[in-house]
Amino acid sequence: MSAEKKYGRDVVIETIARLMIPFIQLYGLYVMMGTEGAGGGFQGGTIIAASFVLYVTAFGITSGRKKFPESWNAAFKCLGVYLYAGIGLLCIIFSLGVAEYLNYAAVPLSNIIGQADTRALMIADVVEIGIGMTVMAAFVSLFFDLAWKEESVKEEEGGAEE
Amino acid sequence: MKLLPLVALFSVILLGVLFVYVVEDVPAFGDPYSPPNRYIELFSIDAEGLASSLDAGVLPTGLRTKIEEIGYTKENAFPSLEEGKYEIERIEGEREEGWDVLIMKEELYYPGLEKFYFIKEDGTKLKVCRYSIPVRWQEKCEEEMATPNMVTAGLADYRSYDTLGETVVIYTAAVSVILLLRRRGRL
Repeated sequence: MSAEKKYGRDVVIETIARLMIPFIQLYGLYVMMGTEGAGGGFQGGTIIAASFVLYVTAFGITSGRKKFPESWNAAFKCLGVYLYAGIGLLCIIFSLGVAEYLNYAAVPLSNIIGQADTRALMIADVVEIGIGMTVMAAFVSLFFDLAWKEESVKEEEGGAEE
Repeated sequence: MKLLPLVALFSVILLGVLFVYVVEDVPAFGDPYSPPNRYIELFSIDAEGLASSLDAGVLPTGLRTKIEEIGYTKENAFPSLEEGKYEIERIEGEREEGWDVLIMKEELYYPGLEKFYFIKEDGTKLKVCRYSIPVRWQEKCEEEMATPNMVTAGLADYRSYDTLGETVVIYTAAVSVILLLRRRGRL
């Protein structure tokens, strides 16, 4: 709290951030999920993480922490990797004895909508989302860790001077 | 006379010359017929009587033994060149003229003929080339996974082991930073 009082609040920055953050996140989702356009999980995740960085720059680190708490962060980070590796495991189970890890055509959905469409669906909506989640949570976690560190060092130095 | 600036200038010139020398051999960017993008030459062989055999759809024994000498055999997990497992097609394009050797692949989900070797006539010699992987990406990716974006298809499907590893690398980096920075005075 002391940090926010020290720096004060700026109406212009807060309004612009409020306006832009939803659009940045929407754009991040678009980049992450679409297979027609450019981009992919890594890029989309980084764009969404950038929106959190913008939030912290505008509203301060403690309110940023309230919006995206540490427990969510850890959960997203693990869930992304689990999604990706879990699809691989699902393929091993359903390919029945040949153990085709990460061959999406083995998922039984392909009996209904065809192998090509199953692979497209898995790429666009499962794998890329998993990558995006992990990257997003990892970058936000890195940013928060570095920012907290800086602040605690500053406070310690200030205390020593007083 | 200072020695250090002279040595620096000399090494910069040397690096520049080396760079130009290397870049001269690199094919033009985006050329679809350059060796890494299209095919790589394996060997060349005398063309006596082989062309008619290729036109008839049979791989001559001399050619086949020479391919197997390099190591493209069934023991090394390459598709076999036995009779009946391959087809030969005549190709006449603007920039390439020759024969495609299509081999039946024993894949579980996508059995089918796949372009493997390309034989091209060059005077009295026959050049035997092997197709590169990007050819399959370009020609098969939309049909196999209904994805118009070749890069995403390659990243998340053909090379998904690689991408899984990359994701785990990022995850591990984040966990290591947590372990390093959140010690809060405990060292």
